[in-house]
Amino acid sequence: MDFDIDDEQRNFAQHARDFFSEQAGPEHARTLLAAPGEAAPGRRVLAELGFSSLTIPEDFGGVGAELLNMALVAEQAGRQLAGPSLTTAARVAVLLADDADRLAAFSEGRLSLAVLDGPPSGSRPSMDVVGATHFLALDGDDLVIGEGRVTLGEPIDATRGLGYVELTSSEVVAQDAQARWARARQVACVILAAEGLGAADRAVEIGLEYAKTRETFGRQIGAYQAVKHRLVDDWVAVNQLRSLVWWAAWAADHAPDQLPIAASAAKAYCAGTFETACETLIHVLGGIGFTWEHDAHLYWRRAKVDRLLLGDESEHLAAVATCTLHAADAAATGELQPI
Amino acid sequence: MNFDDTPEQARLRAEVRQFLAAHHDELAHGDGAYLEEPGHERVDELRRTQAVLFDAGYMGLTWPEEYGGGGGTNAQQAVINEELHRARVAGPVGHVGLGMCGPTILRHGSEDQKQRYIRRLLRADDMWCQLFSEPGGGSDLAALRTKATRHDDGWHVQGQKVWTTLAQHCRFGILLARTNPEAARHRGLTMFVIDMEAPGVTVRPLRQMNGHHSFNEVFLDDVVIADSERLGDVDDGWRVALTTLMNERMAVGGGGGELGVRSDVLVSHANRLLPRLSEERRVLAVEALGRVLVESLAARYSGYRLQTTLEKGEHPGPESSAGKLTAVRVAHATADLGLRLLGEDAVLARSRDGDWRWASAAASTPGIALAGGTDEILRNIVGERVLGLPPDRPRTPAAATATPIAESR
Ligand SMILES: Cc1cc2nc3c(=O)[nH]c(=O)nc-3n(C[C@H](O)[C@H](O)[C@H](O)COP(=O)(O)OP(=O)(O)OC[C@H]3O[C@@H](n4cnc5c(N)ncnc54)[C@H](O)[C@@H]3O)c2cc1C
Repeated sequence: MDFDIDDEQRNFAQHARDFFSEQAGPEHARTLLAAPGEAAPGRRVLAELGFSSLTIPEDFGGVGAELLNMALVAEQAGRQLAGPSLTTAARVAVLLADDADRLAAFSEGRLSLAVLDGPPSGSRPSMDVVGATHFLALDGDDLVIGEGRVTLGEPIDATRGLGYVELTSSEVVAQDAQARWARARQVACVILAAEGLGAADRAVEIGLEYAKTRETFGRQIGAYQAVKHRLVDDWVAVNQLRSLVWWAAWAADHAPDQLPIAASAAKAYCAGTFETACETLIHVLGGIGFTWEHDAHLYWRRAKVDRLLLGDESEHLAAVATCTLHAADAAATGELQPI
Repeated sequence: MNFDDTPEQARLRAEVRQFLAAHHDELAHGDGAYLEEPGHERVDELRRTQAVLFDAGYMGLTWPEEYGGGGGTNAQQAVINEELHRARVAGPVGHVGLGMCGPTILRHGSEDQKQRYIRRLLRADDMWCQLFSEPGGGSDLAALRTKATRHDDGWHVQGQKVWTTLAQHCRFGILLARTNPEAARHRGLTMFVIDMEAPGVTVRPLRQMNGHHSFNEVFLDDVVIADSERLGDVDDGWRVALTTLMNERMAVGGGGGELGVRSDVLVSHANRLLPRLSEERRVLAVEALGRVLVESLAARYSGYRLQTTLEKGEHPGPESSAGKLTAVRVAHATADLGLRLLGEDAVLARSRDGDWRWASAAASTPGIALAGGTDEILRNIVGERVLGLPPDRPRTPAAATATPIAESR
């Protein structure tokens, strides 16, 4: 067993870390709340660097990497609240798997896509529709693509580019697309959890830094167990989340039968972990944490939104339980059957 | 990243699987740790199990061959442990010896001690206990008062230990005692091997809240220990104890292992009982099950990451404390959900169809959160040693010489 990333992956993640800390960051997320638009670094740059085409095969203009590599990039993107989400890119790669032309156009940044959740006649709030020209949706059993009318709401986290979309044109890309749609959503959950991992990790890091410098009653606040233990619990949870994200990303390419459980486990665990980490951060910071100027609320906003995207915690907890119960039941009855 | 066996590991796995099937009747089985009263009969059965496994070469695989170990790798031991778990073989009864005393002897013991003790410990021919905690020193271990004074015939030990797990079955123990009352609290301690059958050793049973008699009080009244039974240098016992404690946290959940009822047991329990629930309650129960399973997967896969670092030859560090914290939480949630699935029957210690496991597990988990370092102490260790947060300094002048928390148990 070797459950670790290798040196090449570590270097790659470092490269992504440097890039996102220059090209994105909470200050962009704050600006976006006042002046809506596409989040930094934006589609074009993500495509240019090959980040959004990481999981698209080389023959189709992509990088041909495994989902794990994209998860490593997504973690770094999450730390800086970058957008649009790599979730969309990962999902597109699965949905358009046999559409060479569109994949190539997407890889090269010529086609700006978002994926809609809910009916194409009037979607539920969907990610990254800000700046998208075309939309993928599930219409009955058909995967369709089209242009659409976008209605933006007032954002909690403006980096997610959320809006309602009504398709105004529609072309069938693939029939019988239910299974593909489900897999794309699982892959998207893994990447969303990876982004949440990076953001939660950063939230804990900011809290730890502050706890080591701020003094009250003559001591650093990190000496107080009420502060220390909350930060430790969050740090432990973030580390556990990393294990689930890595496992789920690995499973997508190497153990597809484990993907449904692993993806839901990562998504569900991320929801609580990220949210709690942000609540701790704000609390540990004291009054400064409650200000518009501090970055804490930008992470908190991301957490509040992400936990509900692509299925909330309850949905994914139930999915983990149901899949596990079925698998155990099948194994138990299987034993009784003559071979 | 991969979870595959090497060809050699696959061969080992197949061999172990076959062995465990062929010797099924010679082995004790169970649904998880701490469920059953460790009475003499059960303990004897478990000791025979451990001996069978030792004779097959499956215990102490990573320990040096010259003392009875397998001279193998952590990866091999992990394969064996997975197969033991899969075959539902009950966890080794000599877990205190295997997890704590053995590693301490291997690291700090004399050649003679290793020759005499290790093989018999691995085979559970001798059971071992850990005599650290005292009425006045648990979390604050360095406050312990049991004294050992040097005489011509060896060290004379006077004092009392408490919460000593399985002492009633043990032939030997490792004992931490104060040898220099003048020195700073954690400087004046020394570690010994104690013969539990020596004159002056009295083991008195304590009954735990789960009804079991597992831990004990141990009275030490002028017990003589030869100087050759010292582990490590005089007054250097604190360093030796840290080896024990580090290994303890690794053994107790740090490696991602399950501390309470196995999660697959909970899943089959749920499969059986969910259909009996009303629709509304079923929805709630399924979500609750999902939560336990996700926590348990998170702990398991984090254990695999730790396992990977071990396989690369690194020693367990303070981060294994995090593993114990989460394993405790999983054990607690598992027991609680198992109990609640029984519905109204859960008000009795045994359900109508005779299921006693969940009430027993629920009454056992509070102890797991204390033993081997309480949740609070472990959080301090992670916070101070891993995350670099400032120590929780004592506030009174009298306690000013106290051990920094992160170094205590
Ligand atoms: C089932 C079981 C088996 C055991 N087996 C063994 C054994 O085989 N050998 C052995 O030597 N010992 C054994 N122990 C003892 C165990 O290690 C101690 O119980 C444990 O270290 C706590 O010590 P204590 O009981 O003295 O509680 P205390 O140390 O008095 O703690 C009481 C409470 O105060 C909290 N507390 C203490 N200090 C701090 C602090 N600095 N910050 C925040 N909170 C704090 C604790 O978390 C706890 O909640 C066992 C215990 C149990 C329950």
